[in-house]
Amino acid sequence: MKKIIKDTLLLASLMILVVFGVSILWAGVTQEIALVCKLFGLAFIVVVANHGLDIISLLPMRQSYILKYALVTCLVIAYGFVVGWFYPSNWWMAAIYTALVFIPAYFLDLVSVRRDVSYINRKIQERLGKLKHSETRGFYE
Amino acid sequence: MDNQPLTVIVEYPVLDEKARKVLQWVHQLDIQFVGKIDDKLLKIGLDEIYYFETVERKVFIYTKEEVFQLQGSITDVERMMMDSDLVRVSRTCIINTDHLQEIRQLKNSRLEATMDNNEKIIVSRKYLREIKNVFRRGTL
Repeated sequence: MKKIIKDTLLLASLMILVVFGVSILWAGVTQEIALVCKLFGLAFIVVVANHGLDIISLLPMRQSYILKYALVTCLVIAYGFVVGWFYPSNWWMAAIYTALVFIPAYFLDLVSVRRDVSYINRKIQERLGKLKHSETRGFYE
Repeated sequence: MDNQPLTVIVEYPVLDEKARKVLQWVHQLDIQFVGKIDDKLLKIGLDEIYYFETVERKVFIYTKEEVFQLQGSITDVERMMMDSDLVRVSRTCIINTDHLQEIRQLKNSRLEATMDNNEKIIVSRKYLREIKNVFRRGTL
């Protein structure tokens, strides 16, 4: 299911890029096209920052998410000011938009970590079970 | 017979996934590293090794009760990772999953691996998928 959702999102991104890319040829850079390009630009900056932080940070999951949230919010505010999304009066909306993305991402990640840990522990138990079984059958004699 | 080396003959009708895993397991028995302890150089079999740790550009080999300094670089260890049950669990640590007993999520959301000699090692979340893959590919 996860793969289907991931592939759907990737395909949707590709379709948006192609459709808007072709539209540029016909209609030039309209407001909608500019918005999509800006969103892709922001996504690229956020992904680069996220990867960079993953490489340098050794923090536990919760602290890592808090740090990432702070960093991404700052980036969104700065980017928003540059492209004209935010004004001095509504910059705080960046924190809300970022939180709306980060909170579900944190919980999804938490579930995924728990699932991976339990998979690994189950495999270890299976291996120990096999080992005991082999020893009782004299496999290593 | 006593002086003869260990010889394993693997016969398989087709080189399928199962045969490949058996060959990989046999190959793993032959992997050795050279470690230094008290100015003595010793060969250490992979099965004896619990984990490798990099500290200030030096690599240490941890066995059940002893610590050796690896005579080589971490690249030598990384080269063996594909053919063995070794996996990176943090920026500084590569463990032998054969000695892994459990992974636990601590209250502060850190992950901790317990080896079968009860030694605890901090696991970085970003390497969890790689550990999972070792178990996925390693089941005979």
